[in-house]
Amino acid sequence: MRWHLLALGAIVVLGAAAAFGLRDAVTLDLFFTLLLYAVLGQSWNWISGYAGNISFGHAIFFGCGAYASALCVTHGLSPWLAIPAGALVAALLALVTGFPTLALRGHYFSIATIAVAALVDAFVRTQPWLGRANGFELPIQSGWAALQFPDKGPYVLLALALFAIVQLATIALERSRLGYYLRALRANHAAAASVGIDERRWKLIAFAWSATMAAAAGVLYAQYTLFVDPPSTIALAISIDIALIGVVGGIGTLWGPAAGALVYVVLAKGVALRIGGTGKGYDLVIYGAIICLIAAWKPHGIVGTVVDALRRRRGAADIPPGATGTA
Amino acid sequence: MHVRRLGALIVTALVAAAVSGPAATRAADAPEIVIGSVLPLTGALAQTGAGLRTAQQLAADLVNGHVSYPLPMVGKTGLPHLGHARIRLVFADSQGKPDQARAAAEQLITQEHAVALIGTYASSTTATASQVAERAGIPFLNPDSSAPGLTARGLKWFFRTTPHDGTFAENFYQFLGDLKKSKNIAVKRVAVVGEDGLFGTGAGDAEEAGAKKYGYDVATRVSYPATTTEVNAEVQRVKTSSPDVIFQASYVPDALLFMRGYKQQGVNVKAIFAQDAGFVDPNFLKAIGADAEGVFTREVFSMDIKYRNQAVPLIDQLFRQRSDGAKPLDGNTARDFMGVLVLADAIDRAGSTKPDAIRDALMKTNIPGKLTLMPWSRIHFDATGQNDGGAGIIEQLQDGKYETVWPFDVAVRPVVWPMPAWKH
Amino acid sequence: MADAGVEALTTFEQLLAGGLLAGLVFALVAVGLTLVYGVMDVVNFAHGEFLMLAMYATLGLALVGIGPLVGLPLVAIALFLFGVVIYRVFIRRLLAGPPEATVFGTFGLLVLLQGLAQSLFTGDFQSVPHPPFQGTLRLGAVALSQATLVEGIGALVLTGALFAFVEYTETGRAMRAVAEDRVAATLMGIDVQRVNALAFGIGAACVGAAGALLMLSFPVFPTAGASFALTAFVVVALGGFGSIQGALVAALLVGMLEVLGGYYLAPELKMVPVYVAYLAIVLLRPQGLLGRR
Repeated sequence: MRWHLLALGAIVVLGAAAAFGLRDAVTLDLFFTLLLYAVLGQSWNWISGYAGNISFGHAIFFGCGAYASALCVTHGLSPWLAIPAGALVAALLALVTGFPTLALRGHYFSIATIAVAALVDAFVRTQPWLGRANGFELPIQSGWAALQFPDKGPYVLLALALFAIVQLATIALERSRLGYYLRALRANHAAAASVGIDERRWKLIAFAWSATMAAAAGVLYAQYTLFVDPPSTIALAISIDIALIGVVGGIGTLWGPAAGALVYVVLAKGVALRIGGTGKGYDLVIYGAIICLIAAWKPHGIVGTVVDALRRRRGAADIPPGATGTA
Repeated sequence: MHVRRLGALIVTALVAAAVSGPAATRAADAPEIVIGSVLPLTGALAQTGAGLRTAQQLAADLVNGHVSYPLPMVGKTGLPHLGHARIRLVFADSQGKPDQARAAAEQLITQEHAVALIGTYASSTTATASQVAERAGIPFLNPDSSAPGLTARGLKWFFRTTPHDGTFAENFYQFLGDLKKSKNIAVKRVAVVGEDGLFGTGAGDAEEAGAKKYGYDVATRVSYPATTTEVNAEVQRVKTSSPDVIFQASYVPDALLFMRGYKQQGVNVKAIFAQDAGFVDPNFLKAIGADAEGVFTREVFSMDIKYRNQAVPLIDQLFRQRSDGAKPLDGNTARDFMGVLVLADAIDRAGSTKPDAIRDALMKTNIPGKLTLMPWSRIHFDATGQNDGGAGIIEQLQDGKYETVWPFDVAVRPVVWPMPAWKH
Repeated sequence: MADAGVEALTTFEQLLAGGLLAGLVFALVAVGLTLVYGVMDVVNFAHGEFLMLAMYATLGLALVGIGPLVGLPLVAIALFLFGVVIYRVFIRRLLAGPPEATVFGTFGLLVLLQGLAQSLFTGDFQSVPHPPFQGTLRLGAVALSQATLVEGIGALVLTGALFAFVEYTETGRAMRAVAEDRVAATLMGIDVQRVNALAFGIGAACVGAAGALLMLSFPVFPTAGASFALTAFVVVALGGFGSIQGALVAALLVGMLEVLGGYYLAPELKMVPVYVAYLAIVLLRPQGLLGRR
């Protein structure tokens, strides 16, 4: 616990120093993207890692925030309003869709999330007030009131703050009754139910918080990119990216999403820059191969593997591999 | 036969001269001028992006070279008003995504110190990359995005050479108007069909607006998911609305599905007006065979322009030599080629690499149409930054090949009207 | 007035026939997926990419003069071998890991295969030259594509053959035993790894046959399979994971919903009734239409 707080503190201090000290837009863009993906990965981790319901539709909650931002700004309202509004809509969407579907297990839930996301996507594409396929472009402004800045520093600070809040919330989750119940449900839902844990209730709470975090990230994304349309916010491809970040780092672990985001950003930017420029799809080949290797040989992700190794060194060999939720 | 071979020899000689590198007239320490180019080099649009990159690089090399063609700035060994400085293109990858395009534009401005940006093909990535340029006060030239809204944003630093969807839609209605005069045709009801992405929605909206403006009835508007595997309902909707003509924006698989559906269901219309894309793809033409005979398409470029500018076949040959799989010059690559020349022309006239000077020069751009590869009257920007000399052409599939049929003064074949009815 | 009524009826008949045929094409793609789901509980997210590979294989054969129908058995055999190898070197390892590993491992396979196709075959759309069955079959006022009809017949034959294989052969019985209870099957002396590899191979062979038939009416490109795969996942879940006859019924239902929904609702919303039906059925009857718990 203390180590986690120290690590988080170190990241915040270093990040803030970078945000104030660095002028290089490219490096700061990398930091921002990294933090944003880490938040999205952690948001996914709440429902899919800790609660164990693998979602392939998480981008719709990200989209709630992004579209809230676009609607507020284009209607002359403050983008700050988009944070509570987007979070509220996302949480309601999570409750409404989660109430029936969270009872589903395994593939049934995963495909249900694809179905729900496809319905949301189809809905947005037919609604003129949501910009249909054209989406929204946010007009250029500057300053804290407009939540838009000519420099990258403030964006990195905001992303850093969001990341810190989400990590603190996750530390709290791991030590809370909610976290304990979710772990119990994930390990054996029948046994958990027999001792009176209400699966639907606790998973709905986790789902709503998870959606809230993704929506906050969506607002930040919209204010940063100043462009919101279905393929860049709510499409299946975005949901898949979010899930990948969660899995590569190690699901159900505190630092897994951050590690996954790091790998994702390095791969997406590094691989694409080095060898992707030919348009031959080699980037996809390498990307796919790495995911295959991780899935087949390091299925607990990066953090899971490190934690298991640490455990073994401490001689705690009786803990089964993968049961890293208590990290 | 002999004459043709001689012609080929001359072309080859010119080509060899053009690529043999710059002459020694330039001072060895002439400065370099960096133009940043944002293109989709990876991701779903990577193939298109690779072609655009080749076309832009070819244009830059010709500007830096010494062989001249009837094109602006080509063969002056760099920019004469800047001490024959060479232009250097630096490419950055948009991955076809709005957020990556934004990051790429920032990288080009802050790290590469680009004096101007060009790109980015997809309208959504052009939207974000041009905002970065606007904020930084750097001119942005867009040669290839067709969403009408891009020049309606009131940006100061944004210039677009290509005509947009609104112009293309108007072209169709002007063509119908011309036909009414010359052939006394009767067209009242139009069906607007398109995939539900930015491409189909943008084209469809412009066509619907055009229908209102030019006094046509929209019989039906059909918007379908681009990845669909069957179009039974869509074809029935078109059929029961009994249109006179169909406007269609589709990619290859859906274009095939629709054409086969129209044939099976006996949907006989006087004309199908396609928004190039799937309908001009060689693989579509191979797969559909004679069934697409008579289809019209809007185009931004045609090799027929060679009758106006003799550089067209030469640039085509140079482009083929450099492009993967020896692809011919097409509407996208020709527009991006011209885009680099327009920027080079403005920077040269500015005689400076200061953004304000380049912007002022861009606003005074006035390149006559016959000095371009395009069927345009000129390149000249209006107050919104839109080229007001841009226009499309309309081609018709005749004997298995798309031939220019409109505007009538550049047409190489007469219009066949109506399209042949389906034979069963 | 009467004419309008007749016309509306004709349109309805045409939509019904079109929907049934579309459903049969969905069944054709889904049938191989059902078997793998049923036997080893694996969501093969690369199923669509197997289909894409089969389509490219069919194209390759067509370019050397072997048409899609003659090439079908060859493609099926090639995909069978491919499936067995993928199981032996990859899927087997995923099954030994946590349940998420199969989901993300097969997703990685999807990305890998799409990338390979992009680098080997480019992103171009390619069709078989001069495919057979390009005509139209007319039954009264209803017009049907001959190619789609052949694909539909293929779906029925394939579903029937797979059903017979699983129900009436020794290997099929072993597969059902593994599907029912892996531990018990091992105790009964069944080599689970061998049965799994065989099921994965047969699933791939089915999708091989589907790919060959689909080349009668579709072009191939690196993401060609993905367009079909999403519908196939819905079909398999709707029919009940692992139920072969359930997948056929579900596919017909999905085809009808898509076509009728597209016409009477709106074409851009044509997938809405499909997904709503999926959600309704998994919520009210989680084992699917014909699935057993």
